[in-house]
Amino acid sequence: MASFKKRIIAVTAGSLLLSGALAACGSSDDNKGDGGGKSSGASKGGTLFFKVEDPIDHWDPQRTYVGTDISKQSRLVYRELVTFGDSDDPVESAKPIADLATDTGTSEEGGKVWKFTVRDGVKWQDGKPVTCEDVKYGASRNFATDVITGGPSFYVLSYLDIPADADGTPKYKGPYTKVGQDLYDKAVTCEGNTITYRFNKPWPDFPLAIAALHMMSPYRADKDQGDKSNYQIFSNGPYMLEGTWDKASGGTLVRNPEYGNDETDSRKALPDKITFQIGDKQETTYDALFADSGTAKCTVSDNRIPPSMFSQIPGAQDRYQNPESPYVDYLWFNTKKLDLPVRQALATATNREGWINAGGGDRAYIPAYSVVNPTVAGYKENPVYKDIPLAGDPEAAKKILSDAGVKMPYKLDLRYPQSDTADKQAAALKATWDKAGFAVSLSPEGDVYYSNIQKPDHNYDVGWAGWGADWPSPMTVLPPLFDSRANITSGSLGQDYGKYVGKDFNAKISEAQNSTDLDAQISALQAADDILAKDMVYMPLEISKFNWLAGSNVDFHVTPASNSFPDLGLIGLKGSC
Amino acid sequence: MFAFIVRRVIAGVIMLIVMSLVTFLLFFASPVDPAQFACGKNCSPAIKEQTRKALGYQKPAVEQWKDFMVGIFKGRDYPDDPALRKAAPQLVAHCPAPCFGYSVLNSKTVNEEIKRAFPITLSLAVFALILWLLGGVALGCIAALTKGSFIDRGLVGISLVLYAFPTFFIGLILLKFVSIKWGLWDKPEYTSIADGGVFSWLSNLFLPAVTLAVVFMAAYVRMTRAFVLEAMSEDYIRTANAKGLSKGRVLVKHTLRGALTPIVTMAGLDFAGLLAGAIITEYVFNFNGLGKLVVDANRTYDLPTIIGTVVLAATFVIVANIVVDLLYAVIDPRVRVA
Repeated sequence: MASFKKRIIAVTAGSLLLSGALAACGSSDDNKGDGGGKSSGASKGGTLFFKVEDPIDHWDPQRTYVGTDISKQSRLVYRELVTFGDSDDPVESAKPIADLATDTGTSEEGGKVWKFTVRDGVKWQDGKPVTCEDVKYGASRNFATDVITGGPSFYVLSYLDIPADADGTPKYKGPYTKVGQDLYDKAVTCEGNTITYRFNKPWPDFPLAIAALHMMSPYRADKDQGDKSNYQIFSNGPYMLEGTWDKASGGTLVRNPEYGNDETDSRKALPDKITFQIGDKQETTYDALFADSGTAKCTVSDNRIPPSMFSQIPGAQDRYQNPESPYVDYLWFNTKKLDLPVRQALATATNREGWINAGGGDRAYIPAYSVVNPTVAGYKENPVYKDIPLAGDPEAAKKILSDAGVKMPYKLDLRYPQSDTADKQAAALKATWDKAGFAVSLSPEGDVYYSNIQKPDHNYDVGWAGWGADWPSPMTVLPPLFDSRANITSGSLGQDYGKYVGKDFNAKISEAQNSTDLDAQISALQAADDILAKDMVYMPLEISKFNWLAGSNVDFHVTPASNSFPDLGLIGLKGSC
Repeated sequence: MFAFIVRRVIAGVIMLIVMSLVTFLLFFASPVDPAQFACGKNCSPAIKEQTRKALGYQKPAVEQWKDFMVGIFKGRDYPDDPALRKAAPQLVAHCPAPCFGYSVLNSKTVNEEIKRAFPITLSLAVFALILWLLGGVALGCIAALTKGSFIDRGLVGISLVLYAFPTFFIGLILLKFVSIKWGLWDKPEYTSIADGGVFSWLSNLFLPAVTLAVVFMAAYVRMTRAFVLEAMSEDYIRTANAKGLSKGRVLVKHTLRGALTPIVTMAGLDFAGLLAGAIITEYVFNFNGLGKLVVDANRTYDLPTIIGTVVLAATFVIVANIVVDLLYAVIDPRVRVA
């Protein structure tokens, strides 16, 4: 859900805070601090302070693609046709529940048509009802790609049944120019309060997708000023903006008197006010949170505790949570340059244990056995990766190389976004790779990292990357990362950084895309992941873990539905500050 | 004098124009594609090109620079696409002259961003300037008047140590310990006089201003000491002393007047530099002034904000140079005569 290319300053190995995904591994009890994170005793009232280091890029629902921001919007100001509940159980929490709609939708034609009926009695903050036309208008904004930027419009554009121009873009150009409006009006229709979406291919988990991403969020046409509306929050949720939002410093949400008719249990709306404070450095925020005085007692943040402060955690264990994130970090191999035995040897000698320890240990990571996160539907540990020792097996790797007649030492370079932590982690990989018969040079890069590894003519050997599912489906992991048809063009590799072109893999993806049944789709994708492992296209490294600390007056909740970020729908205060 | 001012102003304007062009060219020479950067995940080539258009980067750099210059003199309307503006007038953001551009990433004109950020930076710079000039000049004079004594050596030594401290170190120490850990001073959060009154404004500015002032003050102590000592060895000072003038009168009326010329030069330029943004201090204390605006713009590849702040910063420096030249004449009669 987020661009992890956007804020390159934050893109470090193992630090994908800004890459989004909804499929979050839950904060199951064994992930929490000793005191558990589910304290109780919160009552209505008070002001909660929410600290964010970097400015929030968008409050416009159609432009929002960062997991934590999507969660904030869902819980506080924007209601969706369907949403996620408040369960601690990752499986349960990944089931959409009716929100604006009366139910979770009905599909026809094998998932190519979806219908939802908009619930009566839901109002915008000005008292006007949320209508089917508002929902239809919201989806139309995705097509104005020269105004509504940064969001997950990719899915709407590729799925809605609207003919394409010669350049592959839909003939409908959005609600501002209205070019091709008749085509959109055929693909999305309102009859009374029932909205119907018609797709060009089956979308069996469409409700899951729109619970996770806000591309279909309702939007009032008379409030739409394009880019100027980016920070003009117009709410139909429990809170609304007081005054204006300042990108640099934040704003305050207060209760929306028109909010109602919400049958979900995910918007407790306990604090009277939520004040967003933007800009304090992560270290400053956590200095205050560990000190736990003044307003820090009523503060939460969606910036992780810096590893340098991990040593202070035992003293604040009752306010601490350590859930798994929805992200998986992995190594990609250049399949056009490195032969299969070389890739297999690299994978075999990969020291995941060293990588994890250099990056902060078990508070920061757990090992990964697939590029798919365990909370994604149909996840299975891939035996190819499971069988490789966590510390790597340089001897076995050396044997693979010598059996294949590969001349040693085999020179190669490892690319990664530079940071002090990433340098140490890369050094851990180099150590075992060198033992296996490689001569590895480390090539850290700055802001240009993603630009470089996406260049079709790059000649790199191995590189780091990370990913999180857009919604808990492997369809939002494997095709975006390895389907050459969707990624590789004359100008870019997309996310297929290793230039992988796998006919069998692509065939399995096609099979999954055309499946009208979710089980069949998942089965095809599991087979696709097996092909990737057989071809040794990537090597999973770890699943990063979040480290959160709240003030002592905060009734602190982190749920899978909030992407393992603090869940503002449930958090309340146990006292004032 | 008038001709001198005109010459300096024309040279300054030319410098600004060249600087803006160079900034445009440098921005687009960067290997990072700003459209890719703003596009988000799953960014297809078609969507990336549309994002480029939304950001206004689809035209050649020189053409964009020309549009920028037109905006400076005539103002501009956004989005750039006239057909889109005509079809959807509700999208239009008007940016009156002198228009520094519209930042799609911040969803407002650069002028609005500067208008928001500048008072914060100005407040900080003025407060810091007062602190370091008062402290620096006073302590420098004391050191000069007590040359060779324990006081002199102590002041010079402490200045040297403080001068060696980087701003971020002093800022972090004040923030982390004085404010957060020991609770001796509330954590600074900029409050305007209109919002919180003069006392709140001053108390919130105090720690950041001290952070800036300490480093500058250390330099000014040493500089003032040196210039005062130099002035004290001049014949006219000996004459003033021989006339029986009081020590204070000799110091204020004669010695400092001669010594102040280079100090005013430095202060003017330092102040102008600060007006362009006290980047580190603003970042450490989370003051959303021009310095933080510049850093955020660079971090997100926000060309309109980068170019707007670069031109503004350059303007401050150029204007400060001109003002300092004029002040010479006021402070030092010898310059006027020359």
